[in-house]
Amino acid sequence: MAEDNARRARPWPFRRLLRLAVRPPALEQDVDEELRFHLELSVERLVQSGMAPEAAREEALRRFGDVAHYRDTCVELSRRREREMGRALRWGALVQDVRYGVRGLLRTPGFTLVAVLTLALGIGANTAIFGVVRGVLLRELPYPEPERLVRLWQVAPENPKGAFSFPDFEDWRTGAQSLEAAGAWFYAEGRTGGDLVGDGEPQRLSIAYVTDGFFQALGRTPQLGRPLQAQDHVPGQADVLVLSHGLWQRRFGGSKDVVGSTVTLDGKPCTVVGVMPRGFDFPSPSAEAWLPVASLTQNRVPWQQRASRWLAGVGRLKPGVTLATARAELDGMARSLEAEHPDSNTRFSGATVVPLHESMVGEVKTSLLVLLGAVAFILLIACANLANLLLARGTVREQEIAVRAALGASPGRLARQLLTESLLLALAGGLLGLGIAVLGSEGLVRLASGRLPRAGEVELDGSVLAFTLGLSALTGVLFGLLPALRAAAPSLQPLLKGASPGQGSGGGRRLRGGLVVAEVALAVMLASGAGLAARSLAHLLSTDMGFDAQGVAVVGFSIGSSHSEELTTYYQRVLEAVRAVPGVESVGAAKTLPGQSDVEMLRVAVPGKPEELVRANVLHISRDYFRTLHIPVKAGRDFTDDDRGGENARRVVVVNEAFVRRYGLEGDPVGQTLALGGPPVTIVGVVGDTRQAGPSEPAEPMLYLHALQNIRVGVNLLVRGRGDPLRVAADVQKAVWSVDSNQTITRITSLEQVMSEGVARPRLLAVLMGLFAALGLLLGAVGIYGVLAYTVSQRRREIGVRLALGATPGDVLRMVVGGGLRLVGVGLAVGLAGALMLARLMDSVLYGVRPHDPITFISVVVGLLGVALIASWLPARRATRVPPAVALRAE
Amino acid sequence: MGDTSLELLQGTLDVLMLKALSWGPQHGYGVAELIRMRSGEALKVEEGALYPALHRLERRGWLESEWGVSENNRRAKFYRLTGAGHAQLRASTEHWLAYADAVTRVLQSA
Repeated sequence: MAEDNARRARPWPFRRLLRLAVRPPALEQDVDEELRFHLELSVERLVQSGMAPEAAREEALRRFGDVAHYRDTCVELSRRREREMGRALRWGALVQDVRYGVRGLLRTPGFTLVAVLTLALGIGANTAIFGVVRGVLLRELPYPEPERLVRLWQVAPENPKGAFSFPDFEDWRTGAQSLEAAGAWFYAEGRTGGDLVGDGEPQRLSIAYVTDGFFQALGRTPQLGRPLQAQDHVPGQADVLVLSHGLWQRRFGGSKDVVGSTVTLDGKPCTVVGVMPRGFDFPSPSAEAWLPVASLTQNRVPWQQRASRWLAGVGRLKPGVTLATARAELDGMARSLEAEHPDSNTRFSGATVVPLHESMVGEVKTSLLVLLGAVAFILLIACANLANLLLARGTVREQEIAVRAALGASPGRLARQLLTESLLLALAGGLLGLGIAVLGSEGLVRLASGRLPRAGEVELDGSVLAFTLGLSALTGVLFGLLPALRAAAPSLQPLLKGASPGQGSGGGRRLRGGLVVAEVALAVMLASGAGLAARSLAHLLSTDMGFDAQGVAVVGFSIGSSHSEELTTYYQRVLEAVRAVPGVESVGAAKTLPGQSDVEMLRVAVPGKPEELVRANVLHISRDYFRTLHIPVKAGRDFTDDDRGGENARRVVVVNEAFVRRYGLEGDPVGQTLALGGPPVTIVGVVGDTRQAGPSEPAEPMLYLHALQNIRVGVNLLVRGRGDPLRVAADVQKAVWSVDSNQTITRITSLEQVMSEGVARPRLLAVLMGLFAALGLLLGAVGIYGVLAYTVSQRRREIGVRLALGATPGDVLRMVVGGGLRLVGVGLAVGLAGALMLARLMDSVLYGVRPHDPITFISVVVGLLGVALIASWLPARRATRVPPAVALRAE
Repeated sequence: MGDTSLELLQGTLDVLMLKALSWGPQHGYGVAELIRMRSGEALKVEEGALYPALHRLERRGWLESEWGVSENNRRAKFYRLTGAGHAQLRASTEHWLAYADAVTRVLQSA
């Protein structure tokens, strides 16, 4: 009983703290009064026992002891006790709030489930995208002082990002004062490599050929052994290589003895000098070894020629050197090279220098930021939805809240109670969202299918967890604050008098209406973005490539060094073997597949206009290439087996129509000759244009050379046969092995698959945006439905009266739907304005669609109106079914 | 009273105060008077020392305080034993008696 009294007497801690702040000496006064009482009573008793007042006072003080000391001790003890009690009370209040909140949420499981799921989707999507953004965009590159690293290109005619020749790059590297170190590399996915033989099966290694300075510029040292050094790059030295961590583990079992050992690469002995640490994956995660450029044979890559450009460069700026300084210096060097070597360097007169990180993520950056914006919109829609739900709930609970307020709960306390509830919801949603994010980011990386730079660095680490937690808290406050603020200022009187809840809350209705407008606006923006991304993808997929990829199998390989003496014979034998495979209709071969960027290039001077160079892609193909890919031969003929190489053979070439146009050939191109360096070549055929660089690029001039006259070790067999291309490809692989059972195969797939990888990024954007827009629309529709259903339930009486007074169900339907559509209309207008503004940001990731594409925006408006109509019609229909008598009695 | 017995004194004072309050709510002066009278004036305590002790016991939850009106019609702070205080008094009493008994036996053994 005593304890109960004490608890009730305890004031609310805030007020208590406030009192302390206003009147600090309260504690001292209490202690003083207590001690004074003791002393006075003591004196009184002594006087009663016959002592003189003066003596009594002295005696009392003597008995008491050091008053000042005891007083201070007591004050200190009381103060400490006060603090402890305050803490305990606040903690107790929090525990009570949480317990009350959980109980309240469990009492309405439907609401709680919907809220938590909505939040989990919103927070999960945000966390997944943020994880990717952090790994790809925000995290520093894994090299020391990565901000000093730059990607280097030589400016070529018509191409500011051209490759280097080895001699040019060496001149830059050794001469540049603004660079601390620089290196170049030659790497093409699946094509630069060598056959590793030795213990175990022969294996095709993905190799990056690098110049001196490559490892020094990046600044990473090997985990074992040493990097490549200056002496390794001298031609004619013993071949050396550095292994990737992955290859070292897979092939050499992580043995430390591997450094110094000799392996056989393409039939030549090669000494392992170092092993790079885990995570070193420059220039590509699939690079397995690094070799000096000098180990390339001249007949494979003419690396000592200044006109042969095939290297990509990376550099490290000296401390304090700006990009502009480096650009100016390298530009100057390019110009002096141009003056020194007019034969090879005319019009190669500049340098392009871009921070390395930017060069790696540049293209994907916009897509990721668009996605991040989209998920943020989803979360905002979810918040608006929940705020609406909570507002509706708050109105239902107005009476309860009013009663609690009347019983002495302070407005702050009530607001905190409601905020606790929304925070609980948000945290539960965040927890579930984390699970969604784990699955989501894995799926995302897989969906990007290798076209996402730095995908290996996407992980859900501490900072992503912190992001989720922060986001949950923010979300909770965001959607909880409005209802909480409203609850904090309840208008008590009418409610206590028994007025029905929901009346006299015009402000609330406006607030809810505003939230619906915001939801619709956000959904419009999401849907517009998704529409643009989808239209862009559709454009890419429907683009006429100039060839037919359907049903074509691809088997890629590099002719091994064991055949270097009889390359063309081997090539012919393989093609013959594949032609003989049952079910194969036609077979062509090409060095590079359509859609792959590593195509060789040649600049051809236009006769009579030496200033004008036509940049043409060069493709080494076999006969039947055009027939296999359904590329029309417009004039002349395809290559034949008779166009063989040899001493006095007539050198022939097939060109495409774009080349004829650009080169300005007059009359019948067939039979004319071209000067490509060396003996003139004769045009024997003209074929249709193809988009060699992918659907987003225009068709470029092409020069097709006959592989039998210009053999290349890289070969991609293109096979059109009956049935599933992958099954055909498997048979083709067997045929290749029937010629040489040691031939390593670098890829086995279908051409459609290759093309599909080429549009992986636009597809990722379209798929995710579509997903997010669908989610946003669904949430928006739920929001509209929720608000209208609530309004209808609140207006039952009014509707009943209307119906009783003769309004038709149609009138009621129109009234409710009209009310809903008014809100939707405002939302649409706001959203369209926003979408038109934001669409411009997507410009760089759209192909073949203008950011203000009218079809997209019209479909979005129509689609959203449709959704809104359904969402408002459902509650409206229920309103018309209100039996007037019941509605009138409902109060 | 020598310094060497201070620690003992403190423990003793606590149990004495709890005992004094077990007879009913009391203000500080009353507690002092009770101890003085019941001990036959043998235990001489500096009265001021009672107050820090009272506050300490209150902080530990053995006592509760409340302002009330004294027998001479003045505002005074009254202390009351809590449930925990009662339990503590029983425990301390047992402990103290066992202790005193042991010391007594040692001292009385020839």
